[in-house]
Parts: sequence; structure tokens; C-alpha cells
Amino acid sequence: MTIEQIADKVRSGGRVDAAEALRLYREAPTPLLGQLADEIRARKHPEGHVTYIIDRNVNYTNVCVARCAFCAFYRPVGSPEGYVLGFDELFRKIEETIAVGGVQLLLQGGHNPDLPLEWYEDLFREIKKRYPTFRLHALSPPEVIHLSRLSQQTVPDVLDRLMAAGMDSVPGGGAEILVDRVRKLLHCYGKATADEWLDVMRHAHKKGLRTTATMMYGTVETDEERLEHLMRLRELQDETGGFTAFIAWSYQPEHTELQGNEATGIEYLRTLAVSRIVLDNFPSLQASWVTQGGKVGQLSLAYGANDMGSVMIEENVVRAAGASYCMDEVEIVRNIEDAGFSAKRRNMHYDVLGEPIFREREVPRMLELAIAREDGDDSVPAELMNYPARSRAGKQLRVVPS
Amino acid sequence: MTVTAAELASFASSHDIISLGVAADDARRQRHGARTTFVRVADVDAAPGAPIAIPPSTGEVRIVGTPASRAAAVQRVREVVAAAGKTPVSAYSLADLEQLAAAEPVPLRALLEELRDAGLELVAQAPFDQLRDARMAIEQVNIAGLALARLTMEKLPTADIPELYRQIAALQHDVGVIKAFAPLPRSTNPAVPTTGYDDVRRVALARLFIDNIPSIQVDWALYGPKMAQVALTVGADDLDAVSPLDEAEEGRRRAPLEEIRRNIRAAALEAVERDGRFDVR
Ligand code: SF4
Repeated sequence: MTIEQIADKVRSGGRVDAAEALRLYREAPTPLLGQLADEIRARKHPEGHVTYIIDRNVNYTNVCVARCAFCAFYRPVGSPEGYVLGFDELFRKIEETIAVGGVQLLLQGGHNPDLPLEWYEDLFREIKKRYPTFRLHALSPPEVIHLSRLSQQTVPDVLDRLMAAGMDSVPGGGAEILVDRVRKLLHCYGKATADEWLDVMRHAHKKGLRTTATMMYGTVETDEERLEHLMRLRELQDETGGFTAFIAWSYQPEHTELQGNEATGIEYLRTLAVSRIVLDNFPSLQASWVTQGGKVGQLSLAYGANDMGSVMIEENVVRAAGASYCMDEVEIVRNIEDAGFSAKRRNMHYDVLGEPIFREREVPRMLELAIAREDGDDSVPAELMNYPARSRAGKQLRVVPS
Repeated sequence: MTVTAAELASFASSHDIISLGVAADDARRQRHGARTTFVRVADVDAAPGAPIAIPPSTGEVRIVGTPASRAAAVQRVREVVAAAGKTPVSAYSLADLEQLAAAEPVPLRALLEELRDAGLELVAQAPFDQLRDARMAIEQVNIAGLALARLTMEKLPTADIPELYRQIAALQHDVGVIKAFAPLPRSTNPAVPTTGYDDVRRVALARLFIDNIPSIQVDWALYGPKMAQVALTVGADDLDAVSPLDEAEEGRRRAPLEEIRRNIRAAALEAVERDGRFDVR
């Protein structure tokens, strides 16, 4: 098939196979990819809305045993820079989030061997007790697998316990590229193989949880492997229909073991557009302004994205790898409207919650994203003493001096 | 593809930046093909006696800042020209020189001739929105035997884009010496930065409306790799203000030359390095 024939197939609502998608990805002019992706977006979202969510991206710990080669965020067990946030710190963050109209925490963290499943259950229960309508978009598949290993319980059982405690949905982090050759090279095969990541999502969907899916591209994978990633997501979505949205972002190389270069802005827009074309069963695609900046983030709306993601409030992981962009609600809405769409606030299920909050009431401008904790704060939360540690460093921390 | 006046008007008011970008890219390719030029610029301060560092790969030495007086302007040009060797030297904003000439007082042309005699080759920029009389000032540059590195916009224009670009095309029709126009404003309100759509629209419409200026330019340092790269796909063909340092702090992988070539290649374009005279290096 020629590029034009593949394009016609897409225009008429046909589904591209891996070979056709690869040809588009490699050979189609960038504007053509944009036009095709934009047509699909307009078919799926004819109302002309672009949505966003006010939530806070909180990383409860940076201590991690997985040690992925692309990660600038984690600290090894025992590192003086390692932290665990206390319950009170987390409650304070939730209150700050609610004050600016936020509706959920995106809660993810390192694989900390000193935080047992009970710590999560107690935290989630307490959050739900204090803030009953506040949502927990929590724990990506590799974290669920880590907890399954730590607690020696099956993934479905871990999910049941977390759901009973208050987990509302599962973020699609930790997918990187769902091809085991790539995962081995990135040292993230151990935390979850491609099949394991997909299995956690399958279990979550079957239990009625909605989840997102992500792709971190631009490390060591080939074009074919990027497409394989998308195909695997499409297959699972055909099976379960549980994904609400897809988010692609480029690998951020600064301060990582892997190093290398970041993929360019045009590569991002092409990847986004091809994702929209391949993932024809995903309702929403988010723009990754956190990695691309506000300008290319906004241009994403012409390349298939129908959602500006999160106002964020706080961000730690991408910042650790060198990117630090900030857009508060005012700025996100300005960008959406400038692109010719109407801006709507949403929840994790992509239900529209209403118009921008700052048009309803006074909300302080936020010109900088918060961080997990202030530099130099090395306090240890008191409640950690209530949970058994596995690591030597964790055990030492729990010894109360007599 | 030739764009009609009606199409231009509809592009200017549309949110369809993809179709606009396609039309502008078409116009750019008719003129330049895939060729994308860039220049590595070493900035030096306008104050006489200030340090001068000119890395060997520099393609243009640019004196930046406002000269305190006519004598200081001339002295600084002499110092920098002596240090620059064969590398072309550009200096100052034409709007600042207009003001300086008025303050001294001395005819602008006399000031420009003094700078030329001190060894200056190029006036670094002519900010269209800050010049008292753009046509007259640019003609004086030409008559004084100097060249103009680029026409710029200092602020986000309040005039609507088609009207502004018609004025710029008319200016070039009169003066004929503008080699490059940089349509994106050099200073914006950081609390309300321009958007990606806005930048794309300004660059693409510049290429479509101003068909008598050869190059549409984007400032690599000011607009950053991502936006500058996108601009190259919607009408821009020249990148200004690339750092002449071969090694950045982070080491080889962040070297500007490698980064710029990678970005141009990833946009399916061909990188060609030029100097301040627009000669290929
Ligand atoms: S990406 Fe996540 S799992 Fe991997 S090292 Fe970083 S924190 Fe740990």
C-alpha cells in the first residue's frame, strides 16, 4: 500500500496493522500524520472540548530497589537522600490540592522494601475517611507487582486489598516500552516484564478499575518496538476496554545512568499522531506538556491529543531528569482556548466536571510546581515505626534510641 | 502551490495550523528546498574593555547591548574587530543607533560610517517595531556600506498579523537589502508567554505574506530546540544564535552543533552552517 492508500484507509475509519503503522511512522509527512490524527480526534470528540484534570502528582517515596537505567528520581535503600512522606505530609498535600479545586492524587513511588502492603492500606483508608470524595489514582503496575512480591500474595489479591482500602484507579506508569528486549536493556525487566505489566492491567480492568496507559520512548527501542508497544495496548483494550487514556512521553536523559539524547519535538508530535491512529479504541490521548513544554504541549492538540493532562501542582520525576515546565489552570485553559477548543475540567474517568475553577472563584496563581519535600528535610515519619522493615537500613531507622 | 489572497486571509484567522503549516512549508521548499541554515554566534558585551571570548567555531561575533555614547560604540567595535580576525562582526540594534545619533546629535549615516570605518560589517538587528523610520534607517545602513543581519520584532505586535506583514513586505520592496526576518518577538511577558499555535501562525504567515525576504529566521537560544524545530517545518529556514561552544557542561552529548544537526535531521531537513555574511562555511 502507498502512504496515500494507508491514509485513505485511516480516513474511512479503517484499522491499520503493524506494517502499515510503521510505514506511516517512518515515511508519512508530519502534517499528514497531524491531519489524520486530528480527524480521528474530531470523530471521537466532536463537541470541541479539550479536557484537563486538577490533581497532584505525589511521589510518596524515592527509595527504590528496581534501579531502572533511565530513572533520575530514585535513591537506593540507605541513601541519605532517600525519603518517605509521612501520612500528615500527604494529608496536607491533599488539603492544598482540594483548595485549588483538585479532585485526586496521582500517587506513585519507588519500590521501597520497607513499606509493606499494610502501610498503603492504612494510608488509603485514612485518606478516604478524611476526604471521602477525593480520588486515589494510585500505584502503577510495577508497584503492584512489587507489593505482590513483598507480601507474597497474588496480584489479584493485592488489588482486592488496595481497592478495599480506597484505590480508585491505576495509573499507567512503568510501561516504558512493552517489549522485553528493551526492558532488559533498560534494567526494568525485573520490575515487570511486558506480559506482567499487561496482566496487572488486565486484572485491574476485570475488577472494574479504569486505568491509563503510557509509553516512554526514545531510549534504546527501534521504531518497530514502539509500534509493538502500541499494538499490545490496542489488543488488551480490545479485550477489556478498561483504558481511559494513553500518554506518550519522551525519555528525559539528564542525571540518568543511561544518558543519551532526548527525542526532538517533531518526533514527539509524530509519535503522538501515530499513537492516535493505531490506538483507535482509546477514547483519550493526553498531551505531555510536562516533557515537551507548553508550546509543543499545545501543538499536541493539532496532532491527536484531546486532553491537556493534569495541572499537576507537584512533580518530582521528570524534574529530576532535567525538565521543569509549569502550567497552572489559568495557563492550561489559555492554551486550550487559544487553539480553538473549549476547556473543561474532568475527573479520572474523563467525566466533565465543569468549567475552569478560576472562573468560578478566586484561585491563587501557581507559577512553580511544588516538590515532594523541601531540600534538607530528612525527617522520618513517626508512623513508619509501626511497620516492619525488610532492609538493614530500614531496620536501623526503626530502632528507637534508649 | 500559490496561495491566493483569500486563502491567506482565511489562514490568518483559522485554528487549522496544520493546513497553514503545509502551505508555508511548501513556500519555503520552493525557495530553499530542504536546506536549513544556522549560524553560531558569540555574543560580546557592548561596554568598552569588557572581556571578549570568541570560540574558534564562531560564525558571527555580535556586540550586544546599548552603547553608552558614540565614542564608546566606535571604540568597542574597534576592540572586537581586532579580536575577531576574519570572523564577521555585527553590532547593536538599529533602533539604539537611531537614538544615539539623535542624542549626540549626529546624522545616523555619519554614525554608521564611523562604525564601518572602525571595521564593522553588519548592524546586528533592525527591530521593526522600535525604529522611528524603518525605511530611512535601513537605507542609511546600506548607503553607509554596512549590511543588516536581520529584521526583528522586539515585542508582541498589537497590529493584526496580515497588516503588519504587508508593511514589512512593503518595506523590503523599498529597501531590498533585508536578508532575514525573525517574526517571533524577542521579549514577551513571562507571565503570558506566546503559545505554540501563536508562534506557528506568526512564522508560517511570515513565510506566506512576505515573499520578498529570502529567509525566515528563528532564534535557537531564545525559542529553544523544540519550538525552533517546529518552526523549521512551517516556513522558517534559518536558525540564529546557536552557541559556538563545542562542549557544554554536560559533555559531548549536549554539544550545540550535534544537537542542532540532530534536530534539523529529525525534521527531515538538511543542515548547512553559514556565517554572519550568509556565506556557507
Ligand atoms: S522508574 Fe520507578 S521503578 Fe524504576 S528506578 Fe525509578 S522509581 Fe524505581
